[in-house]
Amino acid sequence: MSHKKQKQMQIKSKLTVENKLSITGWFFILPATLLIFAMSFYPMFKALYMSFRTGIGVNMEWAGLYNFTRMLKDKIFMQSVRNNFFYLIIQVPIMLVLAITLASILNNPKLKYKGLFRILLFLPCATPLVAYSVIFRSLFAIDGYFNTILLNFGILSKAYNFLGHPTSAKIVIIIALIWRWTGYNIVFYLAGLQNIDPSIYEAVKLEGASKFQTFFSITAPLLKPMILLTSIMSINGTLQLFDESVNLTAGGPANASITMSHYIYNLSFKYVPNFGYAAALSYVILLLVAFLALIQMKVVDVRD
Amino acid sequence: MSVININKKTKSTQSLGVGTYTFLIVAVILSVFPLFWMVIAATNKSVDVISGTLIPGSNLATNYKNLIGSTNLWQAMWNSFKYAGIMTVLSLLVCSIAGYGFEIYHDKHKDRLFSFLLLAMMIPFAAVMIPLYQMVSEYGLLNSTAGFVLPTISTPFLIMLFRQNSRSFPHEIIDAARIDGLSEIGIFIRIYIPTQKAVFAAAVTVVFMNGWNNYLWPKIIMQSNDSISMPMLIAGLQSGYVTDYGVLMLSVLFCILPMLIIFFAMQRYFTQGITGSIK
Amino acid sequence: MKKILFTLACITIAASSLLMASGQKEATVDTSKSDELVVWLWDMGFNGATMQKAAEIYKEDHPEFNLVIEDQGDWNTLQTKLTTIASSGKLDSLPDILLIQDNAFQKNYMSFPEVFTDLSNTNIDYTQFASGKTGYSVIDGKNYGVPFDNGAVIFGYRTDILAKAGYTIDDFTDITWSQWLKQARVVLEKTGKPLLSAQAGSSDIINMMLQSAGASLFNTDGSPNIVNNDVLYKVAETYMQMLDDGTCIEATDWSGYTNSFSSGAVAGTMTGCWIAATIQGATDQAGKWKITNMPSLDGIPTATNYSNNGGSSWAVTSACKNVDLAADFFAMTFGSSMELYDAVAQNGVLGTYLPSANSSVYSQPNEFFSGQPIMSIITEFAGKVPAIEGGAYYYDARDAVCTAITQIQSGAVAKEAFQDAQDTVNFMMGN
Repeated sequence: MSHKKQKQMQIKSKLTVENKLSITGWFFILPATLLIFAMSFYPMFKALYMSFRTGIGVNMEWAGLYNFTRMLKDKIFMQSVRNNFFYLIIQVPIMLVLAITLASILNNPKLKYKGLFRILLFLPCATPLVAYSVIFRSLFAIDGYFNTILLNFGILSKAYNFLGHPTSAKIVIIIALIWRWTGYNIVFYLAGLQNIDPSIYEAVKLEGASKFQTFFSITAPLLKPMILLTSIMSINGTLQLFDESVNLTAGGPANASITMSHYIYNLSFKYVPNFGYAAALSYVILLLVAFLALIQMKVVDVRD
Repeated sequence: MSVININKKTKSTQSLGVGTYTFLIVAVILSVFPLFWMVIAATNKSVDVISGTLIPGSNLATNYKNLIGSTNLWQAMWNSFKYAGIMTVLSLLVCSIAGYGFEIYHDKHKDRLFSFLLLAMMIPFAAVMIPLYQMVSEYGLLNSTAGFVLPTISTPFLIMLFRQNSRSFPHEIIDAARIDGLSEIGIFIRIYIPTQKAVFAAAVTVVFMNGWNNYLWPKIIMQSNDSISMPMLIAGLQSGYVTDYGVLMLSVLFCILPMLIIFFAMQRYFTQGITGSIK
Repeated sequence: MKKILFTLACITIAASSLLMASGQKEATVDTSKSDELVVWLWDMGFNGATMQKAAEIYKEDHPEFNLVIEDQGDWNTLQTKLTTIASSGKLDSLPDILLIQDNAFQKNYMSFPEVFTDLSNTNIDYTQFASGKTGYSVIDGKNYGVPFDNGAVIFGYRTDILAKAGYTIDDFTDITWSQWLKQARVVLEKTGKPLLSAQAGSSDIINMMLQSAGASLFNTDGSPNIVNNDVLYKVAETYMQMLDDGTCIEATDWSGYTNSFSSGAVAGTMTGCWIAATIQGATDQAGKWKITNMPSLDGIPTATNYSNNGGSSWAVTSACKNVDLAADFFAMTFGSSMELYDAVAQNGVLGTYLPSANSSVYSQPNEFFSGQPIMSIITEFAGKVPAIEGGAYYYDARDAVCTAITQIQSGAVAKEAFQDAQDTVNFMMGN
């Protein structure tokens, strides 16, 4: 046995089972990690560099922290931050509760036509944006279906311009978001529910627990990992909200419903492009989401 | 491997009341209305679509003829299918093993790395688009499937999905398998994957859908006529001075169909109990 | 361990070979020969069909010539691509020719000057195009674009409804906005129909009115001209008046806007001439429409009855290896060929090439528009559109003014709202 081999053997014997498993784990996560570093962190690093520069189009120069102080005076950006938080606080809880409720109904073995119900509830998130924005705008137009119904039932005496008023425009966006993304979240909860042993329910039922008790004492705690996933995803999605703002309300009326991502897109691709400033604003979104996600991970992501 | 016996189908646990059905049916009506509207729209003339008709028309054949005549529909369908399909396969491969790895072999360092990786999904895509384009263009991957999938094969979100789901995966099974002499990768492939059909089904559904609907990225890297994807085709239909809404909605129907098929095929794995028992 | 490594290696190899295979197969290397031109555009039925016809015409004398048209979907997509490519410095992935929206021309030149090629010293005769049109693509006295389609403003009316109120199209020709407001009130009273509709949150009408008086949102030095712009106040006042009167109604989006006149709820519309195709979509209204010019602003010395909305121009990029060929192609087709303009007229494409007004095809009566030769009329209008200061910050200013108008509608003081708008544009200009 060569000297080298001997040494290897020594090292090998030192490796405990724990260590071996840990190394195996590193190999499992390696490809994904490398790809994220190359395809996300590298461009993000470039964007960070860009956020310290300013200028028009390709004519950029070093600006230090100028972009970050400048944004404090940017009324449209401040408005967009407020809008995003309005959406976040109202939409995310409603949507997640709705999704869990529907998922547990859909998971009930007694439910008939399960497959059909599932696909019908999934339908909205498969609908391309074009169709859904045309439909929602026509639903809420002054002469749209919604106004017609309200007028016929005598709830309104005069048609209301839902997209023309700041608060109602934001509410239309929230309704649209709930409509579109509830089905998406149901998919994850349905998957998560498969790991819950049905006999647990049986046992609890024998003890005479009500549906609500069962839900809060069994379903919710066992779904905790999925709830963490979907809430981080939804917070991230809402703070990066783009499509609805662009297509449903065009940010209007008078920027009352514009989102941060919509504004960033305008700064890069609609207005005279200022990539430095746009990149700086992007990092604000990153920090906001990261902060919220960190709190959640700390609170929820604990192993028993 | 006879040690483990995961419970098979169990008897019903809860009965469903009228209230539950009513709630479900209301939810279903709300989510189906737009599809109903699109189907109606696809059979009507443009003028009737924008006037908000809810009555089926007789223009379906004409709309189809116009759609086929003015666009390369089947090419776009095939491209989208190819992009989304390849992305789904690669994504699931890379992310499922990573998510499993992050949870089953977790330690302080891996948890920290994972939190750090999460940052990657938190920046708006518009901010990283230009550097990404530089890379893809550098490697000659414009107009290619590789260029399309590379940035999104590995996503923190998908890794997290598998990581979170592995948390409720019974560790006793793994220990038993190790005693039986199965390698670590063997445990992943032969034990973990078969018992996690539900989460794989969910992942297939959403990854395929994200790939199929992705718009901003293909919009900049797909430049030649034969690399166009379905969302681009739909955008093109409303680009001119005149938009034919009947044709537009027909193209939208074509666009949702594959996603519904995928979902329908996958949803049967969302069945009560861990299905694939180990023999 | 070994097994794991082996499996991982297999996966990596499989994945990368899959990627490489698909990458190599599809990555078509553009070995553009010297007699081939690649063009990026949107809207195949309109812009694409015109380019195809131009290529056919040019091919007659240059059989070796080859034009490759790559449809980019819509203008937003093309702009996003252009921005990304130009700012990533990969200029060689640009095509030879780009179609660019007129309003975005200055912005793109200012942001990415190295993308554009100067076409001044070529045999394209720019004097043959409407001056209001060429203005968009002239920067520092140099021509960077070849004018293409027409956005001359027309005001279309339902003559059957005007007749019910005792008016003819002549009562609405060469008038001022105060006359229009008065007559529109009569029409509304007698028939219950507004004469105009607009898309809420879009400032098209505001911009058309501004340009009709040769006014713009910018001073000659490029600084924003909003809060002290007398014409803008007049425009805002006129627009608010018609909304108050109910002679103009707002629709929530584009389809709502087109539906307002297609359904017959509104008896007229004012926008770029390309709307004619949409108007004609309502076949049941054939013979009931006529077009005329727009009203002029009261009390403004420079006021005219002509304006522009929309339109685009061709640009030759720096990636073009054969600029002479591109220039010659444009000179022989868009710059001189009556055959081209006659041929594409049936698609509803109207150029800004002035001599085409006399073409026999253009003077043919259009039955839908009560026998009016609308193409000749529009080309004539196009020649009278005042040229204005476009400005690179066009979209920034347009959105800011739009916001101001919405605020004024909900009760804000005009001066304050416009001051805010001016501040916003100044902020954008401050980098």
